[in-house]
Amino acid sequence: MSMETKKTLLHKWHKEHGANMAAFGAYDMPLWYPKGAKGEHLAVINSAGIFDTSHMAVVIVDGAGARELLQRCVTKDLECCLGAKKTPLVEGRCVYGIILTPDAHVLDDCIVYQVTDAIYMVVVNAGMGAKVADHLLANASGLEVRVDDLTDQVGKIDVQGKDSARIVSKLLAAPGAVLEKMPYFSFKGWFGTGVGEGGVKLQDGTPILLSRTGYTGEFGFEIFVDPAKLVSLWKMLLEAGEEFSLEPCGLAARDSLRAGAVLPLSHQDIGDWPFAENPWSFAVAEKQEDGGFTKKFIGSEFLKNFQPSEFTLPFAGFDPRKMVVSEKSYVASSEGDKIGTILTCATDMAIGRVEGDIVSIGSSQEGFVPKGLSCGFVKVNQKLAEGTIIFLTDGKRKIKVEIRSDVRPDRTARRPIKEML
Amino acid sequence: MKEISELNLPEDLRYTKDHEWAKVEGDTVKVGISDYAQDQLGDIVFVEMPEVGDTFEAEDEFGTLESVKAVSELYIPISGEIVAVNGDLEDSPELLNQDPYSGWIVEVKPDNIDEINELLDKDAYLELLKAE
Repeated sequence: MSMETKKTLLHKWHKEHGANMAAFGAYDMPLWYPKGAKGEHLAVINSAGIFDTSHMAVVIVDGAGARELLQRCVTKDLECCLGAKKTPLVEGRCVYGIILTPDAHVLDDCIVYQVTDAIYMVVVNAGMGAKVADHLLANASGLEVRVDDLTDQVGKIDVQGKDSARIVSKLLAAPGAVLEKMPYFSFKGWFGTGVGEGGVKLQDGTPILLSRTGYTGEFGFEIFVDPAKLVSLWKMLLEAGEEFSLEPCGLAARDSLRAGAVLPLSHQDIGDWPFAENPWSFAVAEKQEDGGFTKKFIGSEFLKNFQPSEFTLPFAGFDPRKMVVSEKSYVASSEGDKIGTILTCATDMAIGRVEGDIVSIGSSQEGFVPKGLSCGFVKVNQKLAEGTIIFLTDGKRKIKVEIRSDVRPDRTARRPIKEML
Repeated sequence: MKEISELNLPEDLRYTKDHEWAKVEGDTVKVGISDYAQDQLGDIVFVEMPEVGDTFEAEDEFGTLESVKAVSELYIPISGEIVAVNGDLEDSPELLNQDPYSGWIVEVKPDNIDEINELLDKDAYLELLKAE
């Protein structure tokens, strides 16, 4: 694999606007802009932020066997996934799932979009397009299906925060029709030609795929667009968002926002170990009474019989102090025993504690000024109940944190879109 | 991030290779972090400070800074006793980003004020930054 640093098409813009850049996977990406990660994190809660996520990879699965292939390779049961009634995935809807190896280790996490009866789009992490495409093809025996890795061929911008719909609507050719009835994890349009005729267009005619998803826990969209239009879309969004105090946001804010929303970072919180006993079982087909799953998928046989000895749990601290994850860092019990490792430790700057309870600036509690709380995930050798106190330490510093089931309260991701226009 | 030419490095301060500054004020020395340090660290969200009365040898660790990017140790530029800590940083750690020179962290009563001459002056510190 080439070790050359890759750039998204917005790289020049990031540099020109004073971004602090750093390597993320193979890409040179903005960590934060001059506003700073804290201001960017707060902008997403208070108004909105945009993120260049063009480093993520799009894989297209196309053909009569496309759905069957994804049923084999993705943990989520596409026949049993939407809403409370667990109805099948349909055109215009998408689901979050995990791609596992036979021993249930995580190859990557993904969102599967059903574009038409035969065309599916799988969005995976930076640098994973080719690996996921190879994995899908290797498991496609007997199926009529084509797999195309579109790494670096699709531009992507995430607009996240409560003003996202108001900002995006200013750019759309037919905002009323597009933004009407757009539930969480649905999408409309297509970023190219040929598919999704009559789809979503910007006022200048640019076709986009508009998806009501994101990775911050807050209301918003992921926008997929032809790379040739990426920079102009970014600029149009910033202009449209000015009246809402929209901020360009870097990966540091993305990381602290997703940590507070209890979302895993692939290859850090989920990775080369069995996908079990973690907060993300919703990404897997449901279990049946016999211990099996509603469908067979790669990794399901292993998981059916697996006796886990490690447990991944969210935590939150009592102040903004965090522990840098290193070879020296570990999780200690109240008795001082070494019980596990730290996977993620970030500071959610939008939250703080009021008489012990976690409150967010999104909680509409008057006069609340957040100091920030550390939060993230630990992997420990025992199941710990919510509220259990543990310590993150590197042998020198020691930070007291609490096992939680959730971290940042009053998140907006699932709010009905009609409340957000 | 700032170019080296954009950094604010006052002439009347002394600097350390770990990017702290020291300023003599009467018979005490105020200590903080340089513009370069705050720019590199990004938003500072918490400052862990020593207690008044704690004593340190030069280059001892006297506290930590939490930024969005990392946790960084603070090293004391001069041997002595802590006579004051900047309590404003408890509620407003961002003061270190806004103005790293009015945002001092601790005030030290030095054992030997001559130690200050062992620290870098502005030009020597600039040379060090160019080499980094």
